[in-house]
Amino acid sequence: MNAVQTFKLTREFDSLVAVNGIDLEIKKGELFSLLGPNGAGKTTTIRMLCCLLKPTKGTASILGYDVIKTPFAVKRLIGVSPQDTILSERLNCWENLALIGKVHGLSSKEVKRRSKELLETMGLMERSKDQVRKFSGGMKRRLNIAMALVSDPQVLFLDEPTLGLDPQARRAIWEYIAELKGKKTILLTTHYMEEADFLSDRIGIIDEGRVVALGTSQELKTNLFEMHSMVVSTENLTAEVIADLLSKYSRLEKVKGRLKIYHKDLNFKEIVDYLHSRGVTVYSAALEQPTLEDVFIQITGKKLRD
Amino acid sequence: MKFWEIGKRNLKEIYRNPVLLGFLLGMPLAFMLVFCAAAGGGQASPIALGIVDEDRSQDSSAFIQNLGGIEAIELNEPIYSEKSQAQEDLEDGRISLYLLIPSGFEEATRAQQAINLELFYKEADPMIGLQLKLIIEAVGSEFLGVAPPLNVELKGTESKIKNLAVNFYFPGIAVFGLMILISTAAEIIAGDREKGFLARMFTTPARPWDFILAYSLPFIPVLIVSTLIYLGVGMALGLTVVGNLGYAFLIFFLIGLCSIGIGMIVGSLVKSESQAGVSWIFIVPMAMISGAWFSVERMPSAIKSVAGVLPFIHAIDASRAVLNGSSFSAIILDLYWLAGWTVVLFVTGIILFRRTMVS
Repeated sequence: MNAVQTFKLTREFDSLVAVNGIDLEIKKGELFSLLGPNGAGKTTTIRMLCCLLKPTKGTASILGYDVIKTPFAVKRLIGVSPQDTILSERLNCWENLALIGKVHGLSSKEVKRRSKELLETMGLMERSKDQVRKFSGGMKRRLNIAMALVSDPQVLFLDEPTLGLDPQARRAIWEYIAELKGKKTILLTTHYMEEADFLSDRIGIIDEGRVVALGTSQELKTNLFEMHSMVVSTENLTAEVIADLLSKYSRLEKVKGRLKIYHKDLNFKEIVDYLHSRGVTVYSAALEQPTLEDVFIQITGKKLRD
Repeated sequence: MKFWEIGKRNLKEIYRNPVLLGFLLGMPLAFMLVFCAAAGGGQASPIALGIVDEDRSQDSSAFIQNLGGIEAIELNEPIYSEKSQAQEDLEDGRISLYLLIPSGFEEATRAQQAINLELFYKEADPMIGLQLKLIIEAVGSEFLGVAPPLNVELKGTESKIKNLAVNFYFPGIAVFGLMILISTAAEIIAGDREKGFLARMFTTPARPWDFILAYSLPFIPVLIVSTLIYLGVGMALGLTVVGNLGYAFLIFFLIGLCSIGIGMIVGSLVKSESQAGVSWIFIVPMAMISGAWFSVERMPSAIKSVAGVLPFIHAIDASRAVLNGSSFSAIILDLYWLAGWTVVLFVTGIILFRRTMVS
């Protein structure tokens, strides 16, 4: 049985189709990322899986429980870290965690044990007795995630968990999420390609409500990305040489004084030898790995942050 | 006990917010001081009352004597024997109103039969009649309800209601003050919805009734403390509690629960804290037809019917009656009405809340 499964999951808002017939299968213990720009349908998908939004067509199940027919059974199994940091501002960390833990039916002893563990892991123990309204954005975000985990859920939904955080805080949260891999089934949404790349077992690229590509990060890059690139730092590059290169390769770009060559198959030695033979001085040359953003642009024709 | 956990959170969010707490508890105090001061406070002038005694009996004299012993009444002398004389003095402004004691008063008193006493006042000044009606009813009902010798039994009644204005206005002020819980409860729910807290909690296994109970819970101490403040300040300003204080408290508690219930419904329907201001659209008209400030007797029959259906007039009438000495049996129907409304409002709140949990 899959931990999360959707069946033609669809949500329409009047004439707008926010999620359009998504079929997903997420295995137990898998960390699956939905990668897409703002407005692609990521949060709407999560809201349907958390029983906050009714699908207009199709349905989904969490560990076999249907989100429409048995919402309260689903809610017992899940933990949710919403995109916006939502905390009770006049409560301290312990109280915020106890609220979620106890509503999920944990005993006081168990809540205390889990809270202590999470506060230590998230580096919040020192300020754990302060009201959270005095916290920085990063601290609040960490507590937001801890609240999703305190009930020890089997399935965890992390909606843009590092949105708006500085790189250091983001990295700390990635490391914590990475530790959960294999222990929890995690559905993560993000529009940070590095995040999806670093954390995910599999990635679904979502655009305009549809999953347009699915696979591991490597599969997406190698199978879907047909165009490879090579960056060459040169001197004495003439118009003739450029015209010649253009006739041989698909696309050329000059980026910050460097030449970027795009083609389906690129031979490093062949290019460098050719430039030498035309009297061009080559300072450096490197074949580039495609990024998820390259994959995304190729599939959707848009940038991730559009 | 999920409601208890969410309720504890709500309680902490309210009691750790000094501005909100100050509003919730300071408001009843300010309310009582302003309205009682406006209503005359402890320095109300006695009302000039004329008596037409058509019975001219020992009992009617004893009754008049007892009325005259009440501080708030300035009994006009001499006692009229003709209604026309009293009417003339009323029109000339020498008296504010007069009471007609019909012939057969003593006979009816001794036979313990009901007696109709007529109180005449100028239509331009209806409030004075209403104020005095209460005290005369209180004295009269006790007068008729005890065996002779009446003068001994009535002595206690004489000085019981010290300030008619305070006793008249107090229930209205207290009930209107408790109606403000409608907007506060609605704003707190709407605020939590706007901030996303409710959406987060809707992903937990908590049920709709958990939320309704959880959001009512913090208001119970507020309700108790507010009612105590109303009663305490009211008594300090001259409110006389002739009847059972516990019944009065129960009435205020029930109308407070009704207000919280309405607040839950409004909070379930609106999407933001600013939209919760819509609750005033209900509060003000409901207060206007609650009998708090104006008698509904003179209002059109349609409005009277609406007022009679709503819980507020029942709370005001019952608390006024119980404070002025009526027994539990006299207010039992009002109590049933209030309890019924409380149940209906909370069930409606739960149904509406369930609908908002998934969109």
